[in-house]
Amino acid sequence: MELRAEALSYGYPGRTIGSEVEVALTAGEVVCVLGPNGGGKTTLFRTLLGLLPVQAGHIALGGRPLQDWSRRNVARVVGYVPQAHTAHFAFTVREIVLMGRTAHVTAFAAPSHRDRHAAEAALATLGIGHLADRVYTEASGGERQLTLIARALAQEAELLLLDEPTASLDFGNQLRVLDQLRALAEQGIGVLFSTHDPDHAFLCAERVLMLRDGRILGAGRPDDVVTRDNLRQLYGVEVDVVTATLPDGRTSRLCVPGLEGLRTVRRPRSVPTCH
Amino acid sequence: MTTHTTHAFETLRLGTLGRYTLPLVGLAVLVVVAFAVGRFPVSLGDLFAATVGKLFGTSREVPATVETVIYQVRGPRVLAALIVGAALATAGAAYQGMFRNPLVSPDILGVSSGSALGAALAIFLSWDLIGIQFLAFAGGLAAVAMVYGIGASLRGRDPLLTLILAGVVIGTLLGSCVSLLKYLADPYNQLPAITFWLLGSLASASPADLKVVVPTVLVGLVPLVLLRWRMNLLTLPDDEARALGVNTTRLRLAVVCAATLITAASVAISGIIGWIGLLVPHAARMLVGPGFARMLPMTMIMGAGFMLGVDTLARTMATLEVPPGVLTAVLGTPLFLWLLAKSKRAW
Amino acid sequence: MPPPRHPRWPHRAVTGLRAILALAVALGQVEITAAREITDSAGRTVDVPAKVARVYAAGPPASMMVFAIAPDKLLGWTRAMTPAEAAFLPQRYADLPALGRLTGRGNTANVEVVLAAKPDLIVDAGSTGETFVSLADRVQQQTGIPYLLYDGTFAHTAASLRALGAAMGDGARGELLADYVERSVAGIRAKVATIPQQRRTRVYYARSPNGLQTALAGSINVEVLDLLGAINVAGSQSATSGLANVSMEQVLAWHPDVIVTTDPGFFARVWTDARWSGLAAVKNARVYLSPQLPFGWFDFPPGPNRVIGLFWLANILYPDVFDDDLRERVSEFYQLFYHQAPTSAQLDVLLDTPEPAPR
Repeated sequence: MELRAEALSYGYPGRTIGSEVEVALTAGEVVCVLGPNGGGKTTLFRTLLGLLPVQAGHIALGGRPLQDWSRRNVARVVGYVPQAHTAHFAFTVREIVLMGRTAHVTAFAAPSHRDRHAAEAALATLGIGHLADRVYTEASGGERQLTLIARALAQEAELLLLDEPTASLDFGNQLRVLDQLRALAEQGIGVLFSTHDPDHAFLCAERVLMLRDGRILGAGRPDDVVTRDNLRQLYGVEVDVVTATLPDGRTSRLCVPGLEGLRTVRRPRSVPTCH
Repeated sequence: MTTHTTHAFETLRLGTLGRYTLPLVGLAVLVVVAFAVGRFPVSLGDLFAATVGKLFGTSREVPATVETVIYQVRGPRVLAALIVGAALATAGAAYQGMFRNPLVSPDILGVSSGSALGAALAIFLSWDLIGIQFLAFAGGLAAVAMVYGIGASLRGRDPLLTLILAGVVIGTLLGSCVSLLKYLADPYNQLPAITFWLLGSLASASPADLKVVVPTVLVGLVPLVLLRWRMNLLTLPDDEARALGVNTTRLRLAVVCAATLITAASVAISGIIGWIGLLVPHAARMLVGPGFARMLPMTMIMGAGFMLGVDTLARTMATLEVPPGVLTAVLGTPLFLWLLAKSKRAW
Repeated sequence: MPPPRHPRWPHRAVTGLRAILALAVALGQVEITAAREITDSAGRTVDVPAKVARVYAAGPPASMMVFAIAPDKLLGWTRAMTPAEAAFLPQRYADLPALGRLTGRGNTANVEVVLAAKPDLIVDAGSTGETFVSLADRVQQQTGIPYLLYDGTFAHTAASLRALGAAMGDGARGELLADYVERSVAGIRAKVATIPQQRRTRVYYARSPNGLQTALAGSINVEVLDLLGAINVAGSQSATSGLANVSMEQVLAWHPDVIVTTDPGFFARVWTDARWSGLAAVKNARVYLSPQLPFGWFDFPPGPNRVIGLFWLANILYPDVFDDDLRERVSEFYQLFYHQAPTSAQLDVLLDTPEPAPR
């Protein structure tokens, strides 16, 4: 299953937010959309899901134009994970995840045993089975985000679109979520997620799309795209992209801010040497 | 990490069976009590004989008036109370989910104002009882159609907010029309009739009325019951629900149509009775949680029971009928405040 | 005390005018119409001109009283007459304009409309409680027109007619009508007194289309019942008087002998409605629809129109004691109070109760 957008212009009536955007997502890979806030990432996601009409260009899902797909069928193939929010009613985590089965439940029916199994399986996959009876509104931010991911998993979708899944999460939870995204890709699910932190791209993405003001600044492998120049263009700050050697010998790339004020605070420490 | 026990019934360790049989048993008891009490003295023996006679077709030694009271007066009234209570409570639950606001009542889209205007107009024009009920029903439907039409035509905005605003505006407009009619009505005859209708009462529920109202309410109630799991999704933001595969516009339309139908049909025979639509869903949520799959049937049972209890009180408390709307408010307010205090978390 | 000053005239003009008048009086050329002091039912003392030619009636009972005493002085009705009602009154009176109600239960009259009609006197009949007294005072102050408030209870009908007649300068007419009322009431009362307590009829008054609205004992709506010694089954409930809703069961528990109603729809349905048809009153066909033309005979409007209802009800409740020829009495009453005797056909409309539909 592939989601492909070409020469895409998107936005709201009377306002174009993005243009000439190309996106491609296949099963089994993680693609990261990197860009500053207000850069059009959420609107792009909404358009890719078919929630907003396309202004120019076209989107194809599984080779067919997106507008030919019914909402229900799109939901069986593409899952959407928004930012974790507060709910108005005190549903349990299990009930929230079960809602992911909507596309598989006919209009006047209730979820079947199979649906409940799928929901339990999704919870298990993400390791939050113990939270099943927790009231969603009482769960922590990280737990809520994982719940929403589980809900998308319960859809048995092959592609997942996650809008800023790590926003408002603490450091630990951010890493846990990113870890899950990688695990999902390894299970054959295509993951497209947006973030504003370039390190996330290095941590788990195979491809990166740099999006600023609705235009693609760069697309490709993180090593190729997340460069000092591109980051300067994207964020307007100086960032060094360095390769760090971890104690066990592996290497990893990471971004180190190069701003004047921050430089003075840095203390010398026995850390990865910069090349 | 311990899991929180969330709902009262889980604390009591009742299974699914217990969860429903307990309220149903309570409802059955209420029905029996409702048949047994009233201003007309009916002994339990007579009640038993009449019931047995009706069920088994055996000869009855029950005086004719007692039979009239049981089958023609109390019977229809009990049934009316059950159906009106269930309808109003369900409509309230549906709207609360749809508008994602636990403080919403079935009147939010103006069905009560429309019905009130229809009834007031019919009384002003000296129509007979059937005409009054019909115009009340039609008025309720027309009001919501107007509100929904306005909401649907204002595109590009939050659809729920426009619905609420349109409902408030139209409701106020229709309310002022009712005031105008009260002003112009003959003060000796029509004005008291309008006033009493607005106060609400199940006193005039007749078997003929019920033959029309019960099917109408069922036509709206059954789809809501069937759709109840899907209604959970309306509590999510629109984007999420659509991404999960729901046609939110269609589902909302279906819910509004069904909820309006049952509310208008109920108000047409009972007048304006408030608080049930607002209060009972809360109580149901407290007992079984907010998931519509469980909450909706519970709301129906509890709504029917509450209305039956209130109506039985209304007709037995004093020689005069106490307006049920007054009783629901007087009983409902402390109950609601107690619920507010008890619930430590979100709805 | 000088007559109320017209609010629009400047101070100088009025002073000038008064000077001229004083001069004229002094020269014996002009007779000032002396105002009379009239005390109304509420105990208010009001200056009324000696000559009253134009009277505005503030509510339906007052309209009826003024119409009965001095129809040519009535400026208008509170609402337009329906064609059915108009048929019972002389054309010129039926065509009087609708001027609205001024005080009381709902007022629709614009004070300016009242002023434009230039009445010499405003008359109201009904409750004489504090609220209405203060309303009367306020209107009088606002318009400068003398406002008289009379007691509208049935017991005071004669006294109010008499007093109003005197106030308008039609003392003789007022006396005539009051006398008629007093004689009628006394006659009926005497006969009622002969009826032993246990034979007193139990009556249920059904008001609304569903028949479940009734009037409690002591309310203005059922004064006639009380006078006839009939037992209003709705009894006297502790604190309330006035109107109330009751349940069907309550009506069944009361088992009235007679049902009186003012609603034609209810009257048509009561014979076949399973809940009502079991009642003795319905089985014995003792359900009666009160005639309403041109003014209601029972309950509303609460004016002297109820006097004829007294005879009608007496015949219904105690047919053996009261055997008046109603047709004659109705003709007499209508001629006296409404200035037109009904035709034979009209009498039929009034008195022949519709046959209940065959069961």
